[in-house]
Amino acid sequence: MTKHSTSRRNVLTGAAAAGLGVLGATRLLGRPVTGAPAGGAAMNGAAGVAALTPSAAPLTPSATPLTPSAAPAGTAAAAGLPTASANTTGTTLASGLVDADPLTHLLRRATYGATPESLTEVRTLGAAAWIERQLDPAAIADPVCDDLLTRLPMARMTITQVRGEVTAGRMVKYGWEAMYQVGYAAVARAAWSRRQLFEVMVDFWSNHLNVTCPFDQGWDNRPDYDRAVIRPHTLGRFADMLKASAKHPAMLNYLDNRSSTKTRPNENYARELMELHTVGLIHTEDDVQNAARLLTGLTTDTNNGLYRYSSTSHAVGAVKVLGFSHANSTAGGGEAAAMAMLDHLASHPATAARLARKLCVRFVADDPPQPLVDRLAAVYLANGTAIKPVLRELFRSAEFAAAAGGKVRTPYEGVIATIRALGLAPEQKTVSNPGWHGLRSLYWMVDSLGQAPMAWHPPNGYPDVAAAWASPAGLLGRWNENLNLAAGWWPKQLTRPASMLAHLAGPLPATYGGLVDALTRRLLGVVVAERHRTALAAFYGKTPGSALRATDAAATWAFPYLVALILDSPYFQAR
Amino acid sequence: MTTPCGCPEHERATGMTRRGLLGRALAVGAAGAFGGLAADTLSTSLAFADSGYQGDVLVVLSLRGGFDGLNVVVPHGDPNYYLARPQIGVPRSMLLGADVMFGLHPAMAPLLPFWQAGTLGAVHAVGQPNPTRSHFQAMEEMERAAAGTSLRTGWLDRMLGVNGATSPFNGVAVGSAMTPRAFAGPTPDLSVRSLDDFALSGEAAGRPMAATLRALYDDAPPAMATPAAAVDSALATTAALRSAGYTPANGAVYPDSELGAALRDVARLVKAKVGLMAATVDFGDWDFHENIGTPVKGQRLHDHLADVAAALAAFAADLGPTGLAGVTLLTLSEFGRRVAENGSRGADHGHGNAMLLLGGGVRGGRVHGRWPGLAPAQLVGGDLAGTTDYRAVIAEILQRRCGLGDINAVFPGVTAAGLGLVTPLSGRAGVGPTMSTTLPTPTG
Repeated sequence: MTKHSTSRRNVLTGAAAAGLGVLGATRLLGRPVTGAPAGGAAMNGAAGVAALTPSAAPLTPSATPLTPSAAPAGTAAAAGLPTASANTTGTTLASGLVDADPLTHLLRRATYGATPESLTEVRTLGAAAWIERQLDPAAIADPVCDDLLTRLPMARMTITQVRGEVTAGRMVKYGWEAMYQVGYAAVARAAWSRRQLFEVMVDFWSNHLNVTCPFDQGWDNRPDYDRAVIRPHTLGRFADMLKASAKHPAMLNYLDNRSSTKTRPNENYARELMELHTVGLIHTEDDVQNAARLLTGLTTDTNNGLYRYSSTSHAVGAVKVLGFSHANSTAGGGEAAAMAMLDHLASHPATAARLARKLCVRFVADDPPQPLVDRLAAVYLANGTAIKPVLRELFRSAEFAAAAGGKVRTPYEGVIATIRALGLAPEQKTVSNPGWHGLRSLYWMVDSLGQAPMAWHPPNGYPDVAAAWASPAGLLGRWNENLNLAAGWWPKQLTRPASMLAHLAGPLPATYGGLVDALTRRLLGVVVAERHRTALAAFYGKTPGSALRATDAAATWAFPYLVALILDSPYFQAR
Repeated sequence: MTTPCGCPEHERATGMTRRGLLGRALAVGAAGAFGGLAADTLSTSLAFADSGYQGDVLVVLSLRGGFDGLNVVVPHGDPNYYLARPQIGVPRSMLLGADVMFGLHPAMAPLLPFWQAGTLGAVHAVGQPNPTRSHFQAMEEMERAAAGTSLRTGWLDRMLGVNGATSPFNGVAVGSAMTPRAFAGPTPDLSVRSLDDFALSGEAAGRPMAATLRALYDDAPPAMATPAAAVDSALATTAALRSAGYTPANGAVYPDSELGAALRDVARLVKAKVGLMAATVDFGDWDFHENIGTPVKGQRLHDHLADVAAALAAFAADLGPTGLAGVTLLTLSEFGRRVAENGSRGADHGHGNAMLLLGGGVRGGRVHGRWPGLAPAQLVGGDLAGTTDYRAVIAEILQRRCGLGDINAVFPGVTAAGLGLVTPLSGRAGVGPTMSTTLPTPTG
């Protein structure tokens, strides 16, 4: 068991926000999107949405957005982020907080946050080709992240390999190093992999088929769960992932099926299999008990930690589960029968509807449009539970296009987006640092915000709606971490641009307003409302028109505060 | 302020010095009218708005994951208990404070003095009106607490609303960055991981971070603006509390655990008189499908429960009799566990459960409620039946201890249990219950 086993973190967390999905819309969408057409505000560029941003300053279109190095001196606007469509009047704010460019919307949703490189890529390829490229991650060279991962070898070890580390004396039995490396590697990939959509989807599935990490019985198997269950099937077929998870020691330990026996079945896995992994709460208690019986025998070998089917533990006898029936007449055939049930559950229309909705919550809206959910569910079923066709349909939908700015970044997404926006690069190996101590700090940073990757204890995975994360402590925490990252106080090991000011703002603007504009264009892709420009200048006791000198605090030691405030703002928190 | 190291944050910003934050946050807060809340908590000293609330501080300890009430408040007088749990049942000889029917798990030892003094009690066979064995649905319904209605708010939000809460310090979730579902709704509330780390990094003279953020969030969507407003209005108070420091009273020693730290902060808020009406603390990981363990140190249920007992005992000691007289703490869990153990020396999800009550007004030292029995025919789908709606238990506490007149506004259609769980606020001594079925009848 021990999905809830005692660990070093979050014993207090429980599943406080488990039910907050229903509230998401109420709270988040309380703000009317004034003037926005019902569909396609983002897709239509300026058409019809210019009125949304009366206070946004005009912005000259540019072919080199977010690339200050390419900005001619004195034209700060050239460093900005215009819409890709034929918008000639200015950057518009969809939902009042984000620009109306469909390509930046795509990056906010399909990646952990835009970078100059990713913007260039998506503008070069266009949305459709960019998505196709991202859906074929193996074809994307990823040298920076690959190099980083070589420093975390245990993150990708098999069960036998982790145990081999113990045999070789490099790790103590039951140690948590391998599991922590999985967490550090997740942070590294989120921040620096170029296979961004793949990593977003790995996170999605890691939550959907959550096996909390770390946990006591995961010491040898949790890396392999990531390596062999989640990642290979992330863009494959859900049925395959589900079956792989059912037979994996990590899941068998986490939800106790390893100790379920024919005389006294343990219902834990069978229940969550239906409630969380597949059909949702449409099952009966009979279904749970039937499924639990059929799943007996799927266990682990305590000698080597590997999966094992134990026919002597299997309960024979006919079972009926949600339209699936099986004679289950032989102990030897129990495993195949269980897999047939999993295929049935994976292909159940209720599973299709749940997964479709969950993907929409991730990528579209906390309370997603039902027609889109229905279409995605149909695509899922028509393609034999394959994921890629569902994602294609999602990203090209009008509902997706119309959803810009309507999600709020979770704490994890916020921290990673900050790293990417600031241009922080992986640390260097040093005498005292094997090249991952900064990553470790980042892991604990997101842990302190309640969202270390894969570390949610209960089996339902982290909540994915704004209301669940809308807490004072959470917001304050992310503000503080933004300053840590912007100022370079913590972690100290990451590689920073030689001059953060030059990196983010280009040549020194002449005024405080110019500095604010240069930064918000770079970090947010927009010029913020006039009152917010004024407030940001007022942080330094200035007005937007005040002259900015190179020796001013705002251009020297106090510059990081301005960066942090912009990252703290609702503009950056929206995605 | 031109030197790069003029700032106090050489290290982690969250570990910032107090001085800058304190001085600045107070001034900033005083200037603001953000959300109409700031003025409540503003002062240059530890003086807080008086909401006029005279009731107990209600502390809700959520034992998430399915607390095994049957192995904590053990019905040893019911012979079917040991038949159903041959391997995981708590032996009669090890029970604490036992009467003819019930006794406490030995890990509850730190709380035995409070049980004997009558400030700790229990209610058994408590359940939800529409039982489910889904953790997630059960928690959702437990915290919405409005079965059969379309209400979407949480019950604590409604309770705060009825009590006229206006400040985030009226309702505080302690120990987690996330706010529990029970607080969902329009009434202001606050979450703090800990009081000491609730500080805005960077704020200092000449660096008005809070004021700038206030301006940036002036028109944000509610999911962002609401917590931002709560932060803004709370910073001055937390700064003052941090500055004042805290030493538990009466030699109380909290366990070095997240639960201990959280309850310590609750005690701190109670004593600081910040206007606290309700506080929540979460302590999860009770889902013992496997290896509940024997009732000795090193075993799973034992050690988890021992943390609870040590933390609650420290909390009660820290508050002292006077402080405890104004506090009622109750525990909730989304469901109990199956009566019969499973093949993994654990127990699967069940229904009826026990609640613990701690407070100066609690009529403790006993187990309240109506015992339905554990004979197979008395079970509901293998579960302990729920004979008392958990909301009726809370309702009785709200009426008698928290001065709440209109229970319907918090729990639609629910009537207070009338079990004599607590003494009325106005006459603590010598006032008996209007109705009592406190002593269970052994079955069989």
